[in-house]
Formats: sequence, C-alpha cells, structure tokens
Amino acid sequence: MKKTKILTAVSLLLIPLTVIFGRKLPGRSYYITSLLVILEIMIPFFLSFEGRKPEARELVLLAVLSALAIASRVVIPIPNFKATYAMIMLAGIALGAESGFLVGALTALVSNFFFGQGPHTPWQMMAYGAGGCLMGFLFRRGLLPRKRLLLGLFGAAAVILFIGPLLDTSSVFMMLSRLTPETALAIYLAGFPVNCTQAVPTFLVLFFLGKPFLEKLDRVKLRYGMGDMAG
Amino acid sequence: MKQDAFSRCHPAVSFLFFILVMLLGVLIQHPAFVAAGVCAALAYYLLLTGTKGLKLLLFSLPLLIAVAVLNPLMNRTGRTVLFTVFSIPYTLESLIYGTVLSGIFLLMILWCGCYGAVMTSDKFTSLFANLIPALSLLLVMVLRMIPNFMRKGRQITGARMAIGKSVAGDAKYTEKAKNGMLLLGSLTDWALEGSIVTADSMRSRGYGTKKRTSFLQYRFTLRDGILMFMTLFLGAGVVFSMLRGDTAAAFTPLWDVAPLSPFGLGCYLLLLLLPTFLHLKEALTWHILRSGI
Repeated sequence: MKKTKILTAVSLLLIPLTVIFGRKLPGRSYYITSLLVILEIMIPFFLSFEGRKPEARELVLLAVLSALAIASRVVIPIPNFKATYAMIMLAGIALGAESGFLVGALTALVSNFFFGQGPHTPWQMMAYGAGGCLMGFLFRRGLLPRKRLLLGLFGAAAVILFIGPLLDTSSVFMMLSRLTPETALAIYLAGFPVNCTQAVPTFLVLFFLGKPFLEKLDRVKLRYGMGDMAG
Repeated sequence: MKQDAFSRCHPAVSFLFFILVMLLGVLIQHPAFVAAGVCAALAYYLLLTGTKGLKLLLFSLPLLIAVAVLNPLMNRTGRTVLFTVFSIPYTLESLIYGTVLSGIFLLMILWCGCYGAVMTSDKFTSLFANLIPALSLLLVMVLRMIPNFMRKGRQITGARMAIGKSVAGDAKYTEKAKNGMLLLGSLTDWALEGSIVTADSMRSRGYGTKKRTSFLQYRFTLRDGILMFMTLFLGAGVVFSMLRGDTAAAFTPLWDVAPLSPFGLGCYLLLLLLPTFLHLKEALTWHILRSGI
C-alpha cells in the first residue's frame, strides 16, 4: 500500500517535468510528450487498483461492465449506435469515479484488440476513462440527483465537450505540422459533428436505460452484500 | 493461423521492437528516413496480412491525402507560393511538409497493423501477468466475456423473434433503438447475475489467498536474446545518429534537411527489416532443407 502511494506521487510529479523537458526538444516532439503525460495520468489509477488487491467480486463486476460496454456495440444492430460511452458512464456512476476510469480505459484497450490498435489507443483509454471518472464524480451520492433527464443531458454534454475533444486532441498532435490556436480549433470544429452523432445514442441509453441499470446494479450489490464497494 | 518467424518469438522481444520502431517513427521527420521506414514497414505488413491488409490501407488513403494537401492551409509559413486559395498562400514547402507528415501517419498505421497481427491479446496479457496481476486478469476476463455476451445477445434476439417481438430491417430508427436497448437491458441482467456466480466460484477456489501463478506459454530462448540484443544495438545506433543531428529536418519557412547519413539510415533500415529478414532466413533454410532431401 505504501509502495503504491510513493509510485503514484512520483508519477504525478513527473507530469510537469515531462512537459517542461518536452518543450525543450526540437520538432514535433509534443506527440511523445503528450503520450508520456497520458501514461503518467493513467498509472496512478492502475497502481491503486493493483495496490488494494481487489476481491473477486469487484474484479468480475468491473470485467462484466467493460465487456457489456464493448458487446453493446455489436448487440444493438444499428450502425453508428454506440452505447459504449453510456455504459462506461453508468459504470462510473454506479461504482464510483475510480472504477469508472478503470472500466473506461479497459474498454478502450480491449475493444481495440477487436477493431485494431492504433496511435490513438492511449488517447482512447484516457478519454473513455476520464468520461467514466467525470460522470462518477458528478453523480456520486449527494451531488447530483440521479434523474433520467439529468443523466442523459450530462452524458451527452460530456461526450460533446469532454470525451470528443480529448479524442480530437490526438489528431491535433498527430496531423498538424504547426501548432497554433487557430489550426487546433479547425481540427476541433471538424470533430464537432462526429461528437454530436455520438452524443445522441449516449443520451438515449442514459435516458431510457440509466435508471433501470443503476437499480439493477444496486440490487445486485444489496443482495450479495457488496455495499461497501460503492464510491 | 499461419505465423511468421517473428510472431513465434518471445512477446517481450516483439513488444520491445514495436515500441522502439513506433517511437523512432514518430520522432524522425527526415524524408529519407520516413520513406525508408514506410518501405520497410510495408514489406512486413504485407508479409503478415497479404492482400487483405492492402484493402485496409486503401481505406485510409483519403485521410492520408487530406493530411498532405490540407497542410498548406494550416501552416502558412512557406516561401515558394504555388497559388492562393481564399487569399491563403499555398506554398510548396508546406505541401512537402504535409506529405512527410502523412508518410509518418502511414508508418504509424502500418506498424500498428503489424503490432495487431503479432502481439495478440494472449501475448499481451502473458507479458504483463506478473507485473500487474489484477489488471491482466481483468483483461483476460473481459476478452473471454465478449464472445460470450454476443452469443447470449443472439439468443435473446432469437427468443424475442419467436414471440413475435422482432424488429424488421427497415423499421424506424426509434423502433430499432428501443428494441436494442431492451436487448441490452436483459443482457445486463443476465450478465450481472452471472458475475456473482463467477466471483463466488473464484473465491471458493481460493482466489486472493495466495499469489496467483500464471500459465506462460513462451520461453525466453537464446534466439530471443540475440534478437533483443540486435534490436537494442541497432536502436542505439539510430539514436546515436539522431543525437549527432543526422535526422534534423525543417521544412518551413525554408527547406533545411540534414545531408543523408548512410550510417544512421543503414541502422534504421536494418532495425526495421529485422522481422522480414527473420522470415526470409527461415523460408530460405526451409527451402534448402527440402531441396537437400
């Protein structure tokens, strides 16, 4: 447990150092710098999960949620109807911000085993994880009520304003020869319609399936005495 | 599935190789290095995937062209103006820079394609099984559950069809979405119940009582050691050449590319062609052995 905390602190301290050092390197080294920062953000989450030696029930529950998020893309037979974001967000809301991040990152990694790894894989892990983490944080007990409309609206907003732009940032670093606010803005604007089409299924799933899903999870937790797991 | 020689090596060797070549591929902007990289990566990619991989490449062609052609609109610092679009000077330098960028992008696509073919999920998890035991177990479980869930999804669809609740292919979007979400809901129910059974079964078999051992299929042999050494040695050569400034390249505002260094380029090409050479060596040995009979 102590080792985990030290490693986490080191990892977080490395972020500013990476950025400062990365600025000194010539050329388009910002792609590598950004990748390192992503790794340094994700490592504390992974380490704290390893460090607390998760029980079998938590392990299986996380795996099930992640697998559901990936399988939902195939199970719902509508092209471009991606329920993945909504499922990750629900995992975050039900199990807490930290578990939301894990489910998101895991979902991105595993779905790329099926749909092909790419230079975007670390970015996807980060963005999906951050989406689950954010929703888990917003809807933790006592902050926002778990109303279906609120769930749907916040979920759609998170896709358009948070997850989508994070994913577009990988294109900004990969495809631009010169980074200026204007050129970056052009890429973000190009990504905007895509993000909106992703937000629609996210809203629908959260609106219609959100409450029942959370109730199901709560019921499983209650029935099998996993109350202490909720974040 | 047919495997090439490099795929049969220890996962650590393959992983190191891919991380190294991807890092070098992103960092080096020198046109000669990029061109050499694309050729070498393409050779191995086609060796692995054949004509199927070629089709996938054709799909990414529009994006690659867009990166090259649109770069002058984003980066307006070149000197040689070819023409003006919307009062934006379209410069030759910037176009060349865009072409190099799309070359780097293609290189990444190719290496990722090779990575996907060589580093299968079982290799990935076996590599990290001892380092991050809980996470790699999680990964294995997810990989196992996905086909399972899809099968169950099909079963639910079939059952719904039998009671006349199927949705026709030309139904309205809302109808389809509603049906899909119902399906997802019942799948969730089933999966959550199953998860408890799995977890209890794991616990009664002693999960978490002791350090988990893992089944490792790959053994680090002398050949893997030699390959790893060669990868690191050639990689060090390339890095040395980079530090010397052989790969320095600036395109805008003026073309300023370092003169070609045979040493650096040689090291880089040899490194990238390692898997291809390995394949050729085995094919050749096999051929000689067969003709000797």
